[in-house]
Amino acid sequence: MLILISCLLLFVTALALIVLQVLQPNARYAWLVAVGGASLALVSVFTWFTQIPFNLTLPAWQPHTVFTIPILFHADRLALPFSLSITALTLTVLLTAITRSAITNSFTWAGTLALGGIGLLAVTADNPLTLLLVWSALDLTELVTQLRSVNGPANNEKVVIAFSSRAIGSGLLLWANILSTARGNIFDFQSIAPDSGLFLIAAAGLRLGVLPLHLPYSSESTLRRGFGTSLRLVSAVASLVLLAHIPAGSLTSTLTPFLTGLAVVAALYGGWMWLRAPDELTGRPHWVISLAALSIISALSGNPLGVVAWGCALVLIGGALFLAAAQLVWVDYALLVGVWSLSSLPFSLTASAWLGNLGFFMPFVVVAQALLMAGFARQALRSAGRIALESQPGWANKIYPAGIILLVFFQLLLGLMGWDGALQVGAWLQALITSLIAFGLIWATPRLRVLNPVRAHWVNATTSGLGTVYGGFWVIYRLLGRISNAITVTLEGEGGVMWTLLILILFVSFLTQGTP
Amino acid sequence: MNAPLIWILTPFLSGFLILFFLHRRFSPLIGGAISMALALTALIFPIDTALLLGSISIKISSSVQFFGRSFSLNTADGPLIAIIYGLAALWFFGTEASGSANRFVSLGLMIVALLTASIAVEPFLFAALLLVMAAMLVIPLLVPLYQKPGKGAIRFLIYQTIAMPFILFSGWMLAGVEASPGDLGSTIQAGTILGLGFAFLLGIFPLYNWIPMLMEEASPYVTGFLLWALPTFTAIFALGFLDRYTWLRTSPQLSYTIQFAGVIMVVSGGLFASQQKHIGRIMGYAAIVETGLFVLALGLGSLEVVNITFLLLIPRGLELAVWALALSIIKRKAYTLRFNEVQGLARSYPIAVGALILAHLSMTGFPLLAGFPPRLALWQELARQSLATAFWVFVGLLGLLIAALRTMAVFVMAKENKSWEWNESWVQAAMLGVGVIGLFILGMFPQVLQPFIINLPALFEHLGQ
Repeated sequence: MLILISCLLLFVTALALIVLQVLQPNARYAWLVAVGGASLALVSVFTWFTQIPFNLTLPAWQPHTVFTIPILFHADRLALPFSLSITALTLTVLLTAITRSAITNSFTWAGTLALGGIGLLAVTADNPLTLLLVWSALDLTELVTQLRSVNGPANNEKVVIAFSSRAIGSGLLLWANILSTARGNIFDFQSIAPDSGLFLIAAAGLRLGVLPLHLPYSSESTLRRGFGTSLRLVSAVASLVLLAHIPAGSLTSTLTPFLTGLAVVAALYGGWMWLRAPDELTGRPHWVISLAALSIISALSGNPLGVVAWGCALVLIGGALFLAAAQLVWVDYALLVGVWSLSSLPFSLTASAWLGNLGFFMPFVVVAQALLMAGFARQALRSAGRIALESQPGWANKIYPAGIILLVFFQLLLGLMGWDGALQVGAWLQALITSLIAFGLIWATPRLRVLNPVRAHWVNATTSGLGTVYGGFWVIYRLLGRISNAITVTLEGEGGVMWTLLILILFVSFLTQGTP
Repeated sequence: MNAPLIWILTPFLSGFLILFFLHRRFSPLIGGAISMALALTALIFPIDTALLLGSISIKISSSVQFFGRSFSLNTADGPLIAIIYGLAALWFFGTEASGSANRFVSLGLMIVALLTASIAVEPFLFAALLLVMAAMLVIPLLVPLYQKPGKGAIRFLIYQTIAMPFILFSGWMLAGVEASPGDLGSTIQAGTILGLGFAFLLGIFPLYNWIPMLMEEASPYVTGFLLWALPTFTAIFALGFLDRYTWLRTSPQLSYTIQFAGVIMVVSGGLFASQQKHIGRIMGYAAIVETGLFVLALGLGSLEVVNITFLLLIPRGLELAVWALALSIIKRKAYTLRFNEVQGLARSYPIAVGALILAHLSMTGFPLLAGFPPRLALWQELARQSLATAFWVFVGLLGLLIAALRTMAVFVMAKENKSWEWNESWVQAAMLGVGVIGLFILGMFPQVLQPFIINLPALFEHLGQ
């Protein structure tokens, strides 16, 4: 019931904002309604602490004999940190909205709140079917939003390609379901068939742009900072949550090292591009890829709890940075708490990230994480492009930093008491080495040209990431096209009826030959 | 009162009267209202059961004799009739918005009446005759007056006509097989002839080439109606065959053959759809894939045959109606419906394009939409029997998804700085809106269909019991 209350608070507030916008377009209190709804939702998620674990089961699909898997949401110590992160992000987006020009746009706030609600449903989804439904809701929301905000044929095409990669990721989840059913298992997170685990990793990896490496998101959208941040991060965490549910036992395959290798490449690439990104919003897709790749490495190393840590880091640390639009020196320094949270040092947010066995890949992971930390520090201290708060009303001077600090506070809080795996010493030696490398990179960045920002990079958004692989698929597609065209022309041409009857006779004789 | 008179004769006569006596402006409204009234009557008044309304007792008797043949609709038929006339009402109400031909509602009502008669007639083999009669009534809809029929229409008529003797002949042979089940030669012959009959009726590979051809040359709305109505009743007719003849139901070879045919349809339909550059033909191939799924469901050989078949049938009506209506609206702007002509139309016709894409995604089995729950059910059942079959169905639907994504990409690739407009009329927007809401409701809460399908297994004495 509590899940329903939290989600309803977000959805009903969104609906109220839409009604307000239609009936009273100039209502001055719309922002207060939005912030009020988001605050109540955050408080309601806090009350989960008193009740967890608990379920929310939607009316069962019927006939029961056909649909055996219920639509079930489950709040536990795994879903709670994700839920807190998402509701805190939603509140922060609204609190920091006062610094953005679109302050009177209730539709954007309604969208942010609705996304928060869908995000809550995604992280509490207790079986793949439920997750699949929530993913689809997110995908359709993202598709519509992006298509409304981009311009020109090429950008529109990129949006469809991004939607395609996510749809195929969902398809892989569905295939894992079929595979599990074929093996006689009920497809829930508790009893995943051993050979389904890798499909789940691939599904999440494809949706996140990690496996194979590609940028699923276009950076051309006009909805960049507020709603855009919410969309990117909620969408990513909704995919990451799947990784947290995969039991380590279902990932023992000969393909596991190969997938880990691909994820390490994605993490290194993402970290490198993030370090050299000209600004935080341009670098955001690389931030998502890099953290998603680290999550996948955690899951593949047999540590699903690490996914929770990286997922929360993605939302809380990234959210604080991407929403920091105004120039306030002390807020910039507060953002640096994020470097600590990313470090995996004892009792930090990501302390539990590397409890699994990384084996041969450990040095590469250390470098990738260090690149990420150094990039974060550089972006946090970069004040260019941020607006001055002096031009804002007095109350805005207090509300804006409160929003950013909220996310910083949650980084510290969740590191201490977020989930059962929190408050860990973790792999402290590895974390120490990572931190030292990160500090080295921070020191070297202004001194070495190679570490300085670049605008061009070798993986473009969505279109060219896997030129060779896509090229291969394209050749197969065109070959199939030629075959199907030849068949169509033959069957629909002048002699089509005769050809059809001939094929039919062959078909019948083939089948009757097989009959004893 | 008599059930066949209410649900067969009344709509047939209504169609006749609308054709000759009603102004075309009112025909969609009147036809839709009649259809809806018939659906509600079927839902409210149980057949063959006395109902007391105050001091008046009403009982709808179940059968009537006509030229020595019996037409019988029983209590269990009620929900099925409600579904059929409910969906038909949706099609008729949408006629005005689609701008379809004058005769659509009148002939449509007559076609639905004939098809309803096909599930009521005894001996049931006469259903083949009624199906062919319905197919013949479709021709005036497909071919405008004083125009030469296209190749697609001619092929459609040829294949539907060839189907009838095969079905009738197999019926005669099946009686012999029932008498001597050990005669393997007769069994194979009867099975083959029956299979050929249904192959022609349903348009099994390679007999489906008339479908994309029709989508190219005829009105998409009329063709969509045809692609909904005929396969739906043919599938019910096929279920009747499976129910009546034990050896058909229990033969593993036949089950294998049916599933093989279904897989070929799904895979080839999906593959061909993914290669098309004509959005009408893509819809045709999607309908072929959907029919392939019916065929697969018929070949399941499990207790869930009836449930899964009807779970597939109901969303199909809605999906095709929404898709065909959206296509009709788009066709007014881009007559050829080719990719180069429809490029960027999403910004001029956002509702029609959105509805078309959602209907298409629904047919690919995209979660949240009406097509997903039945496909999930079918997939799970198939996976328990053969993972390879489930895989090929996955491949076929992937082909359909590729077609959807290509269509979407073409629609949204508008020129730089093209602003969003709304060129659909209010009626069109409302009809498409209702359809899209229906797609989402059926996708998220398929249990809303349960009151309709819960008693349908009772229609078939042996299947699914």
